[in-house]
Amino acid sequence: MADYRDQSPAHRRHTNPVLVFGILTIATILEVVVTLFHLPKNVLVPILLAIAFVKAGLVAAYYMHLRYEHWIYTVIFITPALFAVFLIFTLAV
Amino acid sequence: MEQTTAISRPISAEVAHANLNRKFGMWLFLSSELLIFAGLIGAFILTRRNIFQNGQEWWEPNALSLALVSVNTFILLASSLMVVLGIEAIRADAQHKLRRYLVLTAILGAMFLGGQAIEYSLLIFEEGHSFADPFGTAFFTLTGIHGLHVLVGVIWCLMTLLVARRGTFSSRNYTTVEIFGLYWHFVDLIWVIIFTVVYLTG
Repeated sequence: MADYRDQSPAHRRHTNPVLVFGILTIATILEVVVTLFHLPKNVLVPILLAIAFVKAGLVAAYYMHLRYEHWIYTVIFITPALFAVFLIFTLAV
Repeated sequence: MEQTTAISRPISAEVAHANLNRKFGMWLFLSSELLIFAGLIGAFILTRRNIFQNGQEWWEPNALSLALVSVNTFILLASSLMVVLGIEAIRADAQHKLRRYLVLTAILGAMFLGGQAIEYSLLIFEEGHSFADPFGTAFFTLTGIHGLHVLVGVIWCLMTLLVARRGTFSSRNYTTVEIFGLYWHFVDLIWVIIFTVVYLTG
């Protein structure tokens, strides 16, 4: 029998997940700290949303392994994600 | 010393193909879920805007609830890390480590739900909000549906743990764990957005 294995990017060197976790935690703390400065809403909201979308991007790229997967998964996920980002940004800002 | 399992049986072409299809299906499912949450978050923002425009008062999280939800966010991020480490463990055929990380994931997920229950009780019994007022409708619908996803994730995690206890997974066959991981990370990803929109941009 041929030696099949799951077609996951198992043997590539992935970015250290603890490092990604550290960045996500620091970004979360940064978000909370930014709110303490009582910036005008039209400045505060885009900053917070930008940080949140970067965090979401990190989760998708490194925890969900989109960065290492076949491009078709990226297309499947990014298409509705772009719509979601557009919707939330235009409504919130 | 960490016990690892040397058994890493090859899988058939059919199983490998089926696993690819399952993963593809999971990504399609998550894409549709993403659109559902985009709609819910959009509805939340619109409700908040309407209440502001009508001159009504909107809820603002106090220091206690902000601290509580920040800790909850940290817990969910940590649970995602546990899943990643679990998948890395099974890639190295370390089945004991996988089981340990799955247990930690389930515990952290349950802690998140506990934190959400405390938050809900504070909002309902201390601040007098209900599911019927405009804020309650928007808030409890969005965070409640997310919480339901976390609950499903915890149950799924425990089911994956039961399968893992039978020694089913190996470095050649771990798509089931990976698919659970995709779901769990997605729930985490959605919470990252909800945390900012609901608690910080109000």
